[in-house]
Amino acid sequence: MATMASPMDLETRLEKRKDHFVVVHPLDDVFETKVDTDALGPMAMTRTVRLSLLSLRAYLILMVLLVVYHVVMLAR
Amino acid sequence: MTNKTLMMPAAGVEAEVMPLRGRVVKSKWTRDLLTFLMVFGPGLIVMVADNDAGAVSTYSQAGAQYGTHLLWIVLLLLPVCYFIQEMVVRLGIATGKGHAAMIYQRFGKWWGLFSLVDLQLVNFLTLVTEFAAINLALSKMGVDPRYGVPLAAAGLILLVLTGSYRRWERIVVFLCLLDFAWFWIAFRLGPPLGQIVKHALLPSMPAGGITPELMFLVIAIVGTTIAPWQLFFQQSCIADKRLRFADLKWARLDTFLGACITVTAAVCMMIAGAASLTHGFRFTDPAQMAADIGTYAGPVMRNLILLMMINAAVLGTTAISLSSAWAYGEVRGWPHSLQLPWRNARGFYSLYLICVAAAAGIVLIPRAPLQLIILGVQVLAGVILPSAIIFLQLLLNDKELLGEYANKPWNNWVNWTIIIVLFILSLILAAQVAAPNLFPSAAGGPTT
Repeated sequence: MATMASPMDLETRLEKRKDHFVVVHPLDDVFETKVDTDALGPMAMTRTVRLSLLSLRAYLILMVLLVVYHVVMLAR
Repeated sequence: MTNKTLMMPAAGVEAEVMPLRGRVVKSKWTRDLLTFLMVFGPGLIVMVADNDAGAVSTYSQAGAQYGTHLLWIVLLLLPVCYFIQEMVVRLGIATGKGHAAMIYQRFGKWWGLFSLVDLQLVNFLTLVTEFAAINLALSKMGVDPRYGVPLAAAGLILLVLTGSYRRWERIVVFLCLLDFAWFWIAFRLGPPLGQIVKHALLPSMPAGGITPELMFLVIAIVGTTIAPWQLFFQQSCIADKRLRFADLKWARLDTFLGACITVTAAVCMMIAGAASLTHGFRFTDPAQMAADIGTYAGPVMRNLILLMMINAAVLGTTAISLSSAWAYGEVRGWPHSLQLPWRNARGFYSLYLICVAAAAGIVLIPRAPLQLIILGVQVLAGVILPSAIIFLQLLLNDKELLGEYANKPWNNWVNWTIIIVLFILSLILAAQVAAPNLFPSAAGGPTT
């Protein structure tokens, strides 16, 4: 098994030869650092957004009740 | 590590500098092509799987009732599909997490649980309709569904149990490419090319003008082309495939090609429906339509349409079941990857297995309330879609989360326009299905 070239050595050699490329499948690649979503916590929202989401919640609850009513009526 | 296409020294040195598995190529063109082929998959699968059994039914019904008059609507949905899924691509690549996890983390438990429960419910009901379509198509082909449906379910379960994302993706991409058969079907059955081009590019209304039935069908076409599970599926799929920031442009191309293929296939389904209308047949379901077409186009054509219907249902089933399993796994914190063997992700695979097996089982129950289930799919999809897209839009404007990948102002203009239109259509659809007396002259509607 060949030994790893030092980063500096490798960089120099890569600069000299630009006619070869390596394509790595995402699943074979090292893990990429992503945004740490766990550390972010809940999203900061303006009052308008919060009110809009509350309205959406009310709409969804209303729709679910409507569906339940409709299913009950169909089942009878 | 963000640079995925490393410059390499001369041949023979790669063993020294390749700690990872990779392919050495000599030209930039080959590098780009190979990179695209490696990234290719989630976009195509999510788009083609969207043309599931319900979609085949809706598009062919549109053709069977209105000929080629509604082709322009399908074409109009191409950019809509692309813009929505492109947002999911950015979110998936930037966070490396699924959509359910994002909603849970950024909007709290209430929204997280609501999205999850609604998604699981609507997905399960949709799965039942997929197996109902398999049942119907097999019966028309003379195959006993009591054997055919469990066999299809077993195949769908085995498909994910290989412990290899790549193996699953290759098989599913192959099934997606079978969709090209719709092009041949349309070519053989289709009306003159001039008429197709005219109705695809110039908006026109069928004879009779705008009726509640037409409105319902248009809403169903929109609803079947943009489904909530797609958002969850593609983001989780991208996270599972571990796409990198450098892959973004290829993932966008993948999504765009997928959108083009799925919309063209939808056009072909509509053309097939229009062909049955031309020959005076009345539409009841796509399997019957295939049988009707078979009377003049031959048994090969009939069986091909039935097989494509089964293929659509199979693709829909694997994608929808996976979106459920991924979403649940993300929220519960279970291991949830197709790369993991069964023993390491039992919860994830068990949920997939339960979804598929239960949906297949319900279909085999005599006198199962399938009509009620189809109704449930329509209403719940109508309920979940606007909320899911609003969350998507909010997440895409979350600079803390996405940084440079957040929406630009022009993205927001386009997306809010789409959201408003979808919201209105979803409201009408949900109200129409849940309370049909609101629109008394509408006589039933198609499946979504």
